[in-house]
Amino acid sequence: MFDEKDLILEAKHVTRRFPAAKGKVLTANNDVNLKFYKGKTLGLVGESGCGKSTFMRFLVSLDKPSEGEILYKGEDITKLKGEKLRQHRQNIQMVFQDPAQSFNPKMKIRDVICEPLLNFKRIKPSEKDKVARELLEMVELPGELADRYMHNMSGGQRQRVAIARALALEPEMIVMDEATSALDVSVQKTIIELITKLQREKNITIGFICHDLGLIQSFAHQVAVMYLGNIVEVMPGEDIGENCKHPYSKALLASVFDIKMDFTKKIESIDSEIPSPLDVPPGCPFCDRCDQCMEICKQERPILKEIGPGHEVACHLYAGKEA
Amino acid sequence: MAMLEVNNITISYQNRPTVTDFSMTLEKGQICSLVGESGSGKTTVIRAIFGLLAGGGKVTEGDIIFEGESLLEYSKEKWRKLRGSDISMIFQDSGAMMNPTRRVGDAYTEYIRTHEKNIAKGDARTKAIDMLERMRLPSGDNVMRSYPFQLSGGMRQRVGIAMGMTYQPKLLLADEPTSALDVTTQAQIVRQMMELRENYGTAIIVVTHNLGVAAYMSDHIIVMRNGKIEDQGDRDYMLYHSENEYTHKLLDAVPSIGGTRYV
Repeated sequence: MFDEKDLILEAKHVTRRFPAAKGKVLTANNDVNLKFYKGKTLGLVGESGCGKSTFMRFLVSLDKPSEGEILYKGEDITKLKGEKLRQHRQNIQMVFQDPAQSFNPKMKIRDVICEPLLNFKRIKPSEKDKVARELLEMVELPGELADRYMHNMSGGQRQRVAIARALALEPEMIVMDEATSALDVSVQKTIIELITKLQREKNITIGFICHDLGLIQSFAHQVAVMYLGNIVEVMPGEDIGENCKHPYSKALLASVFDIKMDFTKKIESIDSEIPSPLDVPPGCPFCDRCDQCMEICKQERPILKEIGPGHEVACHLYAGKEA
Repeated sequence: MAMLEVNNITISYQNRPTVTDFSMTLEKGQICSLVGESGSGKTTVIRAIFGLLAGGGKVTEGDIIFEGESLLEYSKEKWRKLRGSDISMIFQDSGAMMNPTRRVGDAYTEYIRTHEKNIAKGDARTKAIDMLERMRLPSGDNVMRSYPFQLSGGMRQRVGIAMGMTYQPKLLLADEPTSALDVTTQAQIVRQMMELRENYGTAIIVVTHNLGVAAYMSDHIIVMRNGKIEDQGDRDYMLYHSENEYTHKLLDAVPSIGGTRYV
């Protein structure tokens, strides 16, 4: 369903370990393989602390994996250094969860938006006014806001500014880390509409981190579900809902409050807390919270197997062909 | 007579009315939600009920009556007796309400000993642990020895609920109790709040911006906009029969499985 020649970024066997106290090792990402395609959105879903952000930080070269490679158009970006790395940063930009905290409060919106352009000498300082106005209008904000500071704006407006800043360099790809979870549902909707519109116009690749399956299904082409650093399921966006297979994906799905849900039924949720990534069970990482856990799950870690077009699951319940 | 009656109140900050002509009634064991966007005055209303209006806010018109007595005429001393025992509140991030330099246990035992003057320290601690475990926090003893930042968002919220429920209040006010949480944790916390009503008959007012959560929990939903009541009714009315444009807009915004796809 995705054309291999549209492949723009590929993560291969990415593993990240952090040293922890008492000589322990925290494995934040374990053998992650994901592919990003031109003009498509990949949604990465999972609970807090499962390693979603750790992974996405590799894509924007804010951190390096302990093992594995990240190929951007065939080139391993984890090996880039110095000026080459700096130039490469123009290709992949990021939008953070809370723009109030990720921007300098003393800078005017105009300077915030134009800073990356000035850094790469794409514009002259005298052009700032015009460019800032254009970029603000692109994200459907009035151009006059260029004179304001971050703290004079609402959460939704700030997030639009963050998007304008990320798109200023016309990157091939942007990474959005929970870009809407601090917003009201109604504002969230308008931001999603804006992102999808811009994506259509500019053919941008998006990596979107999220914990709400209901939200991600509304605009992702591909969804990957992560649990304790492992990808447990990858599926086409339209498959969420009826077609997701992994017990963890189902549990995530069951905990979404939907206005179309059956209100007579109790909301289902996994009761326990997510186990510490310091002691991940040796078998399937989900085995001690899974209600369909079998003997094999405790001993052998399942690997991703293809069970349909573009749909892979790592679970012993589904014996597909080897991926 | 209803347990809580809010009659046509106007709340002003520095003489500027923020919430106007707001009324609601709540019976014992009822759950009511206040829904609306940021800045619509939801939090102001429940803060007014709890007597905790920030920044010089005042109820300038109308009355708030709890069990037959006007809360607006309460003295400081009477408020102190009421808060935590008859009415309590859960905040959006319970971690932020706790002192970051003190262990959860120290804060909690102090809380208990403020309400029960004659309780011994050890007994207060046992009581706290018992309460934490009832709120499904595994190993309450461990939680008591932790600092707030060492707990996950969901755990902190459970500590907040445990503290709020220590004296089984008749009315619980919850200000966006799940907005900062993951969907899975949100489901757990919502379920737990529903159990409070089953087990203790607690009436709850929940402030939320997610109509999905509101519809699941509540008997009555009030939609607020610009400090006024825009629409109200039970779940059935809200979801299927309301003709209010704004309600429709909010309903449309809830992401739903199998709903709109933009791509």
